[in-house]
Formats: sequence, structure tokens, C-alpha cells
Amino acid sequence: MKCEWVKENILLYVYNELPDDARYELEAHLARCSDCAVELDTTRKFHAVLSELPVEEPSPNLVTAARMRLQEGLETAEQDRFWHRLIFEPAAWLRQVRFAPALAAAIFIVGFAGGIGTTYKFLNSISGINPVASSAAPAESSITGIQSITQDPGSNHISIKYNTVSTQEAQGSLNDQRIQQLLLFAASNNYNSGVRMDSVDLLTQEPNNTHVREALIYALRYDSNPGVRLKALDGLGASVKSDARVRNALLEALVQDSNPGVRTEALHLLEPVRADSSVRSVLEKLAHSDQNQYIQSQARTVLSQLPEFD
Amino acid sequence: MPAEAWAVPFAVGKCSYPVRRDPRKPQSRGDMAGQGSGRIDDTLLVRDAQRGNRAAFEELVRHYDQAVLRLAMHLTGSEHEAQDVYQEAFLKAYKSIANFRFECSFYTWIYRIVTNLCLDHLRKRQVRKEDAPVATDASGEQYDVLDQVPDGRAGANPERDLMRRELGKRIGHALEKLTPRERMVFELKHYHGLKLRTVGEVLNTTEETAKNTLFRATQKLRGALADMR
Repeated sequence: MKCEWVKENILLYVYNELPDDARYELEAHLARCSDCAVELDTTRKFHAVLSELPVEEPSPNLVTAARMRLQEGLETAEQDRFWHRLIFEPAAWLRQVRFAPALAAAIFIVGFAGGIGTTYKFLNSISGINPVASSAAPAESSITGIQSITQDPGSNHISIKYNTVSTQEAQGSLNDQRIQQLLLFAASNNYNSGVRMDSVDLLTQEPNNTHVREALIYALRYDSNPGVRLKALDGLGASVKSDARVRNALLEALVQDSNPGVRTEALHLLEPVRADSSVRSVLEKLAHSDQNQYIQSQARTVLSQLPEFD
Repeated sequence: MPAEAWAVPFAVGKCSYPVRRDPRKPQSRGDMAGQGSGRIDDTLLVRDAQRGNRAAFEELVRHYDQAVLRLAMHLTGSEHEAQDVYQEAFLKAYKSIANFRFECSFYTWIYRIVTNLCLDHLRKRQVRKEDAPVATDASGEQYDVLDQVPDGRAGANPERDLMRRELGKRIGHALEKLTPRERMVFELKHYHGLKLRTVGEVLNTTEETAKNTLFRATQKLRGALADMR
């Protein structure tokens, strides 16, 4: 085994390519192994034989001639310029990028910004798709307007699209506090009368809720659209007997509303409380001197139905 | 820079460049680099040449051109072809010196160019399957390069001279039978004294591969020259 190793390495030993420890080991082996010593001798002799083919030094004439020819060649030769390397050797160009740390930093910054941007967009899209999942009710101050309100036919499910900074959508039942909040907001603040109408229409389904009642009274008093006011009247009609505020609002509408239809409807709704003194005095006033003859006659009719008090 | 190294400035154009010489390194016949004057620090010259300074490049050429000619002549066996290799190698080096990134020594880089050209040359020769290393001299006449093997010792006796010439011819033929790569490794190691590590670097391979190739080449040569041992 040892001799085999020596024979494998004897060439490297002759060429002086063995590391010191291997060299020492080999020499120690050669001193006691005659076979390997013979092998070394043979290798050295062969080495010497091969060296019989001499390496010629180039003659001065040859060197001079070669140099002169090269100088002529260099006259016309052009070194690769930057643009040339850029076009033909993009790999070499990349290798020589000396601003690698700056490039790495730039890539990191771009990646970081991109990541933040994507996350922002992703979260936004999530909240846009299913805001019902979010438990936080939208603050009124953040709502810029209600876009649309729809109720699924035959169900209690309402869908409201409203704007904050961007359009959002909320879904839920009428009992849902957030939905109610949005409906109340829509009834009193929205620029679109159709939406106001829808919200008031839905709110009339909850006439016993104080907030709803207030919103309906508000709509009846201040909404510019007679249709909306009419809807609010319908919603309030049921509680005219039980709530003095509703009665007063209806009376106010009866006296001051610009729309005869609203006034007529208010008059009819006030019939259950026609015996109230405030109602009666208003009716008498209307029966006596209202500009609208129909209202006048209707007031008289209602008054005539009142039981006589002696 | 080692303490024992010393510098000799010499003028190239307007600049002067220090020549570093390592006194530990003995000069030998096989020492390829720097025309036998030790390893030279070429960094300044290379940088100037990269900026387009032709004088600096020509100085670099003078550091290496004799070694390049020596290698090319021994491999091709022809002064004419050696001159072609020389011309092509240095023109190529001049054109692409801007791409030199100091990842290896300039010495390794230039020998990489030269050995690649010589390998091409050897491969072409193998394809031509020439029986004898016949070459053409400057005047266009064909001659057997092995007949040109000179006898360095003046006054040697004619009989010994004839034997040496015969021996040289046989070695030449045996070398011709190696593959171009085996030939190159053997040439760089045996005739030009490069370390196997450097041979690996020059040929773009590992020291281990260079070592195995050297073993293979030596085995083949032993087989071809069996009767001469």
C-alpha cells in the first residue's frame, strides 16, 4: 500500500510538487525500500531524457521582428470601448459593476416600498369586499355620502353602498346597528333624494325606535323632496296618538308644508287625535281660512266628525 | 510587498513603474514570467494600458514577449508560426485589456490567451494529421523542425550531436501523439517549469485536473519512449 502511494506520487516528487509532509514521508520510505528507490531512479532518468529536447530561446532577431510587426498591428488596432463592451459583453459589464452595494440598497428600498404599497392595496381591497366582517362602525364624519340602498325582496337583508374616502359597502339586517346608523345618516344628510327616499322607506319599518322616529320627523320637517316627506309621514302616522312630538310635527306639516299632498296626508293622519285641542284649533283655522280649498273642506269634514261638547 | 523585495524604477512615457523582484525565487530555464527577471508587479502598467496608454502596453509586452515566443516556438516548432501566435495573442490582449479585472495576475491572463491560441494551433495540426512536424520558414521553404534542434554545446562531437538530434526527433514525435491538452500541461510543467497550480489557472481548470493530465501525459510518453529509459 505504501509503495503504491509512493509510485503515485513519485512524479510529483521529481517535479518538486509534493507538500513538505508528504515529501518527508516519501523520502523516509525511499531510504528503506529498494524497489521504490529504483522507481525514483527510473523516473529521474526519464525526466532527464525528456529534457534532451531543449527549449530554445528566441533569437534577438526574432524578438525584434515580432515586436516591430506587433507595433504595426497596434497602430490599427482599437481597444474595446465602453459602449462596445456594453453591447457585446453584458456579462462582463455586470461583473464590473462597482456600485453593487448602492444597487443592492436601491433594490431593497424599491422592494420595501413595493411591499408596503401592495399590503396597503390588499388591505383596502379586503375591506372593500366585505366590510361586514369589520366590527367597527363607520364614523359619520368619515362618510361623504350614501350611494345606494337596496333591500332584497322578501327578506330583511339590506345593502348600502356609501362613500368614505373611497366607496364602501355595508350589508346586514335592519336590526344591525351599523345599518341603522347609515340609514339615519342617509335620511338626513344625503344629496340624492332617491337614496333619502329609500332610507326613509326602510326606517318606517322601525317606527318604534326613537332614533328612527327622530330621523323621520327631521325628514318631514326639512327634507326638500315632497316624496320623502310623504314617506316620513307614513312612517310616523302609527305613533301619532302615542307621541306628542309626532303629533306636533304632523301639525307643523299640515300648516306649513309647501306641498298640498303632504298637508292632506298629514290631515288624514291627524284624524285619530282630532279631538286634541291643539289639533282642533289648527283644524278650525284651516277650515276658516286656508288658501287650499281642498284642505279647507277636508278640515271642515274632520271637524264636523268631532263629537259635540256642550 | 516583502521586506527583501526591491524596486527599480524605469521610465515608460512620462511615468515610471517599479519592478518588484523576489530574490527568493531562483531564475531557471523554465521561468516563464518576466523574461527571467522574477515576477513583476504589472498593476500600474495594466491600469495605464487600460486607459489607452500604448507605451504602457508595449512595456507589458516587453515583460512577457520572449517567454511567449519561447513557448510558442516549442509548441509549434516553427518560428513563423510562433510569430503568428505572438502577434495574435498580444493584439487580442491589447483589444480586451479593458476587460481585465485583476481577478488573476496579468501573467496568468496573458498565458491564458497564448495557451488558448496554441491549443487551437495544436488541434488544427491534429486534424491535418501531419506525420512529421514539418513547418514553413520565413522564405516559404518547408523543413522538419526537429532537424532545427540546436546543439547548445559548441564543439560537441558529431556522433553525440547526431544521437541527440535523433533523440530530440523521437521525443518530438512522442509529444505529437499526446492530446493537445496533455501536450499543453506537459509543456508548461516540464519545459517551462510552471507550478501545477499555475498550470491549472492558465488552462482554466483545477490543480487536481492538471495533475491527472500530467500523469496521463507522462504515462503515454513512457509508453512511446519505453526503449529509451
